[in-house]
Amino acid sequence: MSLQTESQSQEPLDLIRFQLDETVLVKLRGAREMKGKLQGYDSHCNMVISEAEEYIYEVNGNSEPVVKKTEMVFVRGDSVILISPIN
Amino acid sequence: MLFFSFFKTLVDQEVTVELKNDIEIKGTLKSVDQFLNLKLDNISCANESKYPHLKSVKNLFIRGSTVRYVHMNANSVDCTLLQDASRREAMVQAQTSK
Amino acid sequence: MSSFHPINPKPFLKTLINKQVVVRLKWNKTEYRGILVSIDNYMNLQLEQTTEISEGVEEEIGEIFIRCNNVLFVRDAIVKKGDAEENGDNNGVDKEVAMNE
Repeated sequence: MSLQTESQSQEPLDLIRFQLDETVLVKLRGAREMKGKLQGYDSHCNMVISEAEEYIYEVNGNSEPVVKKTEMVFVRGDSVILISPIN
Repeated sequence: MLFFSFFKTLVDQEVTVELKNDIEIKGTLKSVDQFLNLKLDNISCANESKYPHLKSVKNLFIRGSTVRYVHMNANSVDCTLLQDASRREAMVQAQTSK
Repeated sequence: MSSFHPINPKPFLKTLINKQVVVRLKWNKTEYRGILVSIDNYMNLQLEQTTEISEGVEEEIGEIFIRCNNVLFVRDAIVKKGDAEENGDNNGVDKEVAMNE
């Protein structure tokens, strides 16, 4: 039985665990993206990101985004749309 | 419970809270609960006092669900501790959901 | 009268694992096409070899995790062999014919 559970595909959140200490791109509600090093997360997708850059995209199609830098930020999970690793 | 514990380690530190309605509030974190509601003391509005209706307010309570970001000093955070705690929390969550 | 085997949502999603799927979000008609790697009890999704399709623009974004609350639907991506649109329409017509019979 224990062998069976080990070979089951891991859950999506389990695989985010592998992104700890790696750079991720997080797409957020409100046309925002946050890129930085993932320091912590939980099952709500609350996250702490270090050396972060926030990109805020304006409504007027495809103009340059506003970039804001933070050394350490907590992001509340309910704003998160998706999380993607960056190499 | 992970981030509840995380915020408890930040009590008495200066943080800047950005709300979903774009208000940014800088202040000293005095209190946090399991819903990540926050109490800040001695606040100042970070964005040029564009929202002056908080001019006379010194301390306030913020409902956790209205928060978008909380910015803090990098030195306030022990990253390795946080990463380890996240790994453990993720394992616990996976086991309780199965 | 004829045997009807219900497919419930969770088992349906499990059949889609390792297949190409299209996930549409509730916001802005944004879609993600990719291979479904895993799901959990909340129906959070993990996709790989993903293409983001937004306002007619397609962009390859690789491996992604989608938070469950953003999802409008998940469907099987029709793997194109020739003209996918024709295949899609024909399937619809065939079903109607079958029902009328």
